[in-house]
Amino acid sequence: MFRFALVKLWQLLLVYGLASGIIFAAMQSLEDPVSLKFSKYPNPEQVVAEKHRLGLDRPVLEQFGLFHRKFLSFDWEKSLLTGRGSWEDFKLYFPATLELTLLALLIGSVVGAALALFAREKSGRFIGRVAMSFASVGLVVPIFWVGLISLVFGSLWLGWFPMGGRFDLALIPPPEVTGLLLLDSLLAGDLWSFWDALRYLFLPAICLAVYPAANVSAVLYGRLKEPGIVALRVALLARGVGPLSLFFKHYLRVGAAPVVTVLGTTFGALLGGAVLTESVFSWPGLGRYVITSIVERDLFVAQYLLLVLILMVYVVAFISDLVVQALMVERDSVEDA
Amino acid sequence: MLSSCGRPSGDSSKRSETFVFARGSDAQKLDPADVDDGESVNTLAQICEGLVRFRSGTLEIEPCLAESYEISEDGLRYRFRLRNGVSFHDGTALTAEAAVYSFQRQMDPKHPAHLEEASFSYWNYLYQDVLEVRVIGPMELEFVLSQPNASLLYSLAVFPAFLVSPNALAVHGDQFQRHPVGTGPYEFVEWRPNEAIVMKRNEAYWGDPAGFERLVMSVVPDNTVRLLKLKAGEVQGMDGLQPSELDGLEGDDSLVIHREAGLNVGYLAFNLENERLKHREVREAIALAIDRESLASVALSGAGRVAHYPIPKGFLGYPETEERIPFDILKARGIVEANKSLFVEPFEIRVMNAPRQYFPDPVSVATFIKGQLENAGIPVNVVASDFKSHLNTLRNGEFEMGLIGWVGDNGDSDNFLGMFFGSWAAEKGMASNYSFYRNEQMDELLLSARREGDLLNRADLYQDVLDLWRRDLPLLPLVHGDNIAVIDARYEGFELQKIGDLRLGSVRLRGASTEQP
Repeated sequence: MFRFALVKLWQLLLVYGLASGIIFAAMQSLEDPVSLKFSKYPNPEQVVAEKHRLGLDRPVLEQFGLFHRKFLSFDWEKSLLTGRGSWEDFKLYFPATLELTLLALLIGSVVGAALALFAREKSGRFIGRVAMSFASVGLVVPIFWVGLISLVFGSLWLGWFPMGGRFDLALIPPPEVTGLLLLDSLLAGDLWSFWDALRYLFLPAICLAVYPAANVSAVLYGRLKEPGIVALRVALLARGVGPLSLFFKHYLRVGAAPVVTVLGTTFGALLGGAVLTESVFSWPGLGRYVITSIVERDLFVAQYLLLVLILMVYVVAFISDLVVQALMVERDSVEDA
Repeated sequence: MLSSCGRPSGDSSKRSETFVFARGSDAQKLDPADVDDGESVNTLAQICEGLVRFRSGTLEIEPCLAESYEISEDGLRYRFRLRNGVSFHDGTALTAEAAVYSFQRQMDPKHPAHLEEASFSYWNYLYQDVLEVRVIGPMELEFVLSQPNASLLYSLAVFPAFLVSPNALAVHGDQFQRHPVGTGPYEFVEWRPNEAIVMKRNEAYWGDPAGFERLVMSVVPDNTVRLLKLKAGEVQGMDGLQPSELDGLEGDDSLVIHREAGLNVGYLAFNLENERLKHREVREAIALAIDRESLASVALSGAGRVAHYPIPKGFLGYPETEERIPFDILKARGIVEANKSLFVEPFEIRVMNAPRQYFPDPVSVATFIKGQLENAGIPVNVVASDFKSHLNTLRNGEFEMGLIGWVGDNGDSDNFLGMFFGSWAAEKGMASNYSFYRNEQMDELLLSARREGDLLNRADLYQDVLDLWRRDLPLLPLVHGDNIAVIDARYEGFELQKIGDLRLGSVRLRGASTEQP
């Protein structure tokens, strides 16, 4: 276990070094973010003074060092455009993305598992194939397209859901504790807000859940078709284990490890996919903010937040690795039995 | 189960008390002295006001926070008498002392509210001739100029001259931009970044009270979704409509489309430092080869008008009888034939890939021009890049021809012509004279027009400027893009403003009474 942790730590350093180097180099190629922050009346003296204040007039290597020092000591520069601190921005936008991503993962894994189990039991039949073809379609369908269709259908025609946004602008949101509206409204005991937040979350979460659902069902289905598991199924059925118990006790247990791996890696893909979802659903999340900051030459915000996103994806993958390791140990003992 | 009909009673009345305006992106900063994006300006225009303002829908100045003003004979002193009984949203009374604060903080680098991170970039341009702003009585203040500047009164109606509460600046310091305090019809409540800015009615407003308890500027990045939201009644007004979507809205009685020519010009800049474009006949051939009438109708889906001059129609100096640059492909071909060696290599046209007010679809404008020029035997390559890169390329003069434009600030000719043709605006890296046109005679004309107090004389001077422009042709004006906003038909009182800022203070539910305070 110690060795494992050491290897992972080494990998983390490697990821940090590579990612920060690439991001820094890419940002160097963005021409003159300071004078470009003025779309109309740049003032030469002011531009020079501001570059100096931000250390942007120093040699490149020194700037790279400064970038690390500021990043690691959390002394992050403010946004060039809004004047808000980059860390403050992260705390502002991340909860919205996290809330959406977690809900999408939850919906995705439940729906994906259900599809796989269903397809397994109906395998060979038409309906089973239909269920699995959903998985293939889900992997390739463009998320923004699903988003627009669900808006037209769910909001415009049925009128069940609001057309994007995070919370009713005519209502007062619950006091902020975690930044996750669902959690905050429960903490405040405000069920009405909880309901409202859920209505806003529903469509984007469904839309974002398509990809993980497809992924989970494909992986789980593959696992259930492995010869060992097929044999296990026959043995268990012969022993008189009912189908419900077969689903929830045994299948999920043997399937958990690959599913967790998939979820861990999908998380990163979701943060990327969330950019489109966040645009279509006017969701005030981190993905949209980071993309805008790059387009608008908001140097520091783009640098820090991209790096944080990459590190976060790595850490989540790492945690899912740990969970899988733990599950493997348990599963081996189950299969031995 | 998921229907929206289970809302608590009273909620629907609350809804009719809220007006939501949707736009594509969020404001950057809410300090009128330190912004240059339209979204920030459009938000601030509900919260703050200036000494004077443009009469709604026109370019005429009318009193606002000043009830009267007086300009000295020599044009060097502007005296304003403030309206009595006005207070800022935080209760601070509007006095001459409070009013000068908003200007002194921009002028004086040692002023406590001259915030380190704020740039005050407009001050050096629109108000450069202001020497001093001083209190001359409890309710009277005076601007002293270093030289007469006829556009100052107009500039004082623009957002950098909005008055803000000195107390709020003292309380919030560099956080003021997130807690703006002015005197306007709506009062700032809350800013949820990238989501919405919430305001409430200023109950103590000196003019007609605002129409709604709450006003929300919400961010809806996707163009299609923004329009869907308006149609579904989730928002009551929006801007940023694409011209191609206009056709689909004709005949929709539930929406009112407001559109008129904006104070802008989209043009083709010729880099005069380029070996080939420094020849006047090359520029002339290019100008003659482009059918600008078709350009406006085809490439802009009709959401713009042809620009015959570098200033919009109605501006000081705009000739009564237009002398239009003709579309004459034969003549263009003749010039190309006569100067063959100059037209062998393809010319490069640089263009931005995202819409601007003057070019709703810039790449299609570039493609159209390419087709036209190649028709006349002038080979062309189009290079598109994102707006900020494009701006950087142009400001540094690293291009041959560039499609770019200007959105006016104060409705004055100097704000266009000075930025395009003054040699002072041709500094590499910071240029707005993207042609890098330097002509002493032009500088002279521009400066004397700026100093001239007499309107007729000023108009004459600007006509001379335009003659000189036509002679040297450093740029080719193409179009004036339209200002477009769409408002739910159940609301009234909305009017587009010439300088493009939004005024929502006068909007109310159709049929709602306007009680006087």
